[in-house]
Amino acid sequence: MSAIQEAMPATRGSRDAIVRRFAMTDAIFHGMTRAAAILVLVLLGGVAISLFAGSWQALSTFGFSFLTSESWNPVTEKFGALAPIYGTIVTSAIAILIAVPLGIGIAIFLTELCPRPLRRPIGMAVELLAGIPSIIYGIWGLFVLAPFLQTTVQPFIISVFHGIPGLNSLFAGPPYGIGLLTSSLILAIMVLPFITSITKDVFDTVPPVLKESAYGIGCTTWEVTRRVVIPYTRIGIMGGVMLGLGRALGETMAVTFVIGNAHRISTSLFAPATTISATIANEFTEAVGDLYTSSLVALGLILFLITFLILAIARYMLMRIDARTGA
Amino acid sequence: MMTLCVIAAGIGLAWLALILGALLYKGSAGLSLDVFTQMTPPPGDAGGLLNAIYGSVVMTVIAVIVGTPIGVLAGTYMAEYGRFSKLTTVVRFINDILLSAPSIIIGLFVYELMVRPMGHFSALAGAVALAILVIPVVVRTTEDMLNLVPNALREAGTAIGAPRWVVIKSVAYRAALSGIVTGILLSIARISGETAPLLFTALNNQFWSSNLNAPMASLPVTIFQFALSPYEEWQQLAWTGALIITLTVLALSIVARSLTGRREDK
Amino acid sequence: MSQMLSPDMTIAAEAAAKAKIEVKNLNFYYGQSKALKDITLSLPERSVTAFIGPSGCGKSTLLRVFNRIYELYPKQTAEGQVLLDGKNVLDRSQDLNLLRTKIGMVFQKPTPFPMSIYENIAFGVRLYEKISKSEMDGRVEQALKRAALWNEVKDKLNASGLSLSGGQQQRLCIARTVAVKPEVILLDEPASALDPLSTAKIEELIDELQADYTIVIVTHNMQQAARVSKQTAFMYLGELVEFDRTEKIFTSPREKRTQDYITGRFG
Repeated sequence: MSAIQEAMPATRGSRDAIVRRFAMTDAIFHGMTRAAAILVLVLLGGVAISLFAGSWQALSTFGFSFLTSESWNPVTEKFGALAPIYGTIVTSAIAILIAVPLGIGIAIFLTELCPRPLRRPIGMAVELLAGIPSIIYGIWGLFVLAPFLQTTVQPFIISVFHGIPGLNSLFAGPPYGIGLLTSSLILAIMVLPFITSITKDVFDTVPPVLKESAYGIGCTTWEVTRRVVIPYTRIGIMGGVMLGLGRALGETMAVTFVIGNAHRISTSLFAPATTISATIANEFTEAVGDLYTSSLVALGLILFLITFLILAIARYMLMRIDARTGA
Repeated sequence: MMTLCVIAAGIGLAWLALILGALLYKGSAGLSLDVFTQMTPPPGDAGGLLNAIYGSVVMTVIAVIVGTPIGVLAGTYMAEYGRFSKLTTVVRFINDILLSAPSIIIGLFVYELMVRPMGHFSALAGAVALAILVIPVVVRTTEDMLNLVPNALREAGTAIGAPRWVVIKSVAYRAALSGIVTGILLSIARISGETAPLLFTALNNQFWSSNLNAPMASLPVTIFQFALSPYEEWQQLAWTGALIITLTVLALSIVARSLTGRREDK
Repeated sequence: MSQMLSPDMTIAAEAAAKAKIEVKNLNFYYGQSKALKDITLSLPERSVTAFIGPSGCGKSTLLRVFNRIYELYPKQTAEGQVLLDGKNVLDRSQDLNLLRTKIGMVFQKPTPFPMSIYENIAFGVRLYEKISKSEMDGRVEQALKRAALWNEVKDKLNASGLSLSGGQQQRLCIARTVAVKPEVILLDEPASALDPLSTAKIEELIDELQADYTIVIVTHNMQQAARVSKQTAFMYLGELVEFDRTEKIFTSPREKRTQDYITGRFG
């Protein structure tokens, strides 16, 4: 490495000169690393400030009603964020409801049930899947899942729940294929590897002696899992779930393909809708007029604040798990 | 109850296998040399993805060149000079937030930061957006890997009279090298599929462009545009592009993991 | 094992030696807690001094004050004086890197740098000296010979330092320390992680090195202290209980606590 050559005195100076040069280089390097660390803070601060600045026009024009209005009309320049916020929260919530039990199930399978030689490959496969870009999930959703839902699943569900009050409006037709439910399913499969791998990691923090002693007094695998593993790791699992939620809320491409981009709030899960990120992705480059652009940035600001909060809570919870295993 | 777990694992893994299967099936159908030698075609024509692949590579390379030093330096501060400082705790927390922040937000940020003041979309803005995604990944792995370097090694370097920066460069970096490289590879894997931050920074370009100050095509944005189009040729190219990205990402992740795997065996 | 020094030789050496390191009223704190209490002692030049005592008695802490390695960590502070050739190394103005070139240190666990055997030794030399490749080759060879490692590694100088056995690694660390020509060598339980054969080699080495260096060794192994050192300091709970010729400490200690410890009644 060149470091050693650089450490060589350039001229045949006295030790004092070398010592002084070392001190100076050290101060410079120290300063550079510190500046880089501060830059990380500046980046997040910059994101917040630029979003506030960019959304100022929209927020000052519409005020609080920006959050409560459902209308999104580029022609009359009336913008409200309610529909995208609704879509974002509903799709993420459903996705989490699907992905969490599956993810925890897979994690239990991997740590307690899976034959040993298969653990590493399956665990690794799950981690690799967590790294697959979301656009892949989106394109699959658009070309494979949506047509399938449209032709088989949705007509069936609509006919089954047809006469049941409540459910018939939740699953009201026509079957578009794309819409809230489809987006939720895509989000679920996207965050599944995340939740699985984090849950697996926190399961691995359970001291073996705890599990062994439970097995020792005759507990079944299920009892050990329910009474030892899950209580011990509850905070960590919650942290993983929140992290998955943060991802689902901010996910753009997987949703943009299959949400339908319709600015309205519908009780039916089959109806096209929109999310904050999908709205921005679909409309930002085509937005004409400062107020339109500003409204889209304001949507971004709302998303930023929501995810910041969720991620902060998630990190706090995971930090508590780390602190415990570190101690 | 445990059967439910097996079923869950079955459903989850089958579902993921289904996606990869469809991708492989549909994507490989369009895989040919043309994909790598022809430009993106106008609607209804045959063509390839050359300009998009080129754009992705260019922006990724710039992003890594810009983002890696910053990330490594920041990670170095956190694990070395600032290991016990309050700043490190704050930076670690903020960096973790940045790590999972929606990438579209980063796109908006760079739009406000560069595109709006400059008055036009540019490859440079796209690369900056990607660099901002690289930084937190590299910061995180650099700090983690340097923290794994035993303190005894630092003490030994210091005890021989080496100043701190020499200990870091010649001892700590060397010991943590494979881990830091892993972080860089993982960050490349992460940005190579990112679409949202490029949508309104680099935008897209139907034609060959190597001008960093002008819009530039990229694989993910091209896939986005082509997949949503009604033209069959475009849709096929979208699938093929998706397959190329996925294989790239998988290859990078596997190489990255085998690097750290080897390290742990030592 | 290595031979005991005869008493008259020890006395002769002591009479001839001037103090290399003088510790005066040294107190040391980890945060609020006091780890060293008013330590005063002086270490003669070109001679081996051993620090013994039960774990947590402060013997390693004292050693780590001499080259101020403790300053890598926060909230550790030293008060008092540590004079190296009459100059207080605890002074703010003392350059730490320079201090550490004068006072080398070998640790409990072998710590070869992640580089070749040759580079492990050249690394420290290059920091402060610009010498030609052939001169460097000579320095590396000399240092390895000094550490009785040359014959074992001369054909694989480019192999990783990590490829050596534990005992060889520790001798490499000693070679590395010797190569930068320090005046004092601090050994922090240098043989505690090694097998008996390697330990014997290290002890032999210490015996040879004292002709040129002032050596301070921390050990929890009393036989080792008795074998290698000329004078021994017994420490207990951060205090220096007794400091005398090794032979005196092990045969007729003044203090009851020393006697209890060396006869194995505690610690």
